[in-house]
Amino acid sequence: MANRLFVRRRDGRIEVRINEAGRVIAKEAFGRVVAAERDPDHEWHAGLNAPINPSSDDDDPLSMLTRQSEISTNAELAYMTLNEEFLNDAEAWAWLSTFQIALRSTAVANGLLSEEKLNACEPTLLDYVHTLQLFLFSLAECL
Amino acid sequence: MPTVKPLRRLTTESELKSEEVVATKRPWNVVVWDDPVTPMSVVVVIFKKIFGYSNNKCTQLMLTVHHEGRAIVWSGQRERAESYCVKLQVAGLQSTIEQDQ
Repeated sequence: MANRLFVRRRDGRIEVRINEAGRVIAKEAFGRVVAAERDPDHEWHAGLNAPINPSSDDDDPLSMLTRQSEISTNAELAYMTLNEEFLNDAEAWAWLSTFQIALRSTAVANGLLSEEKLNACEPTLLDYVHTLQLFLFSLAECL
Repeated sequence: MPTVKPLRRLTTESELKSEEVVATKRPWNVVVWDDPVTPMSVVVVIFKKIFGYSNNKCTQLMLTVHHEGRAIVWSGQRERAESYCVKLQVAGLQSTIEQDQ
């Protein structure tokens, strides 16, 4: 119980128990997703714009726009609520989605596409991946 | 001059039409792909939130993704499949759509 980073309270809100160091990591992750969505040259940008229908040369522009808008909205909401002590469900969902995008983008950008490659990566990167996974585990328990 | 009925052309047109009907009736699948970093419990939460499936069904689908590398999580109209695929991508899962074989 003491190790849980997010706790659902009786009034329905989700308490954020991440310490200052954890919030710095969260801020960096959320900030990178916001930046990647805006900057076509960002190393995460291609991962955020993966094909929807690989059998077609181009995806429906409306679907692409919807995806871009929703990823940005979630990441910006997560970034804005970074220092909050309590989150509502919509904010917690924005945090979960943005953490998950940061985790997958990190894996794709560093070629961590198998268990073997993940276990063989440098310790700093592995620590970062494990930290994001811990945030996600704890947040998923509340949703 | 006698007129010749373009039988072949009519037949071809009718065949094309019937093929079109068959093609549009094939459903579109939403596919979720495995990756080594996403926690299993997160996949279950995302399926529940997007599709409203039961806990058991979400867990079954998550395990299929994990063991087989991919799972079809929804089938139906193309527009809805695209919309679900976008929602899954927005939630950070690797997802695509494909027409049923």
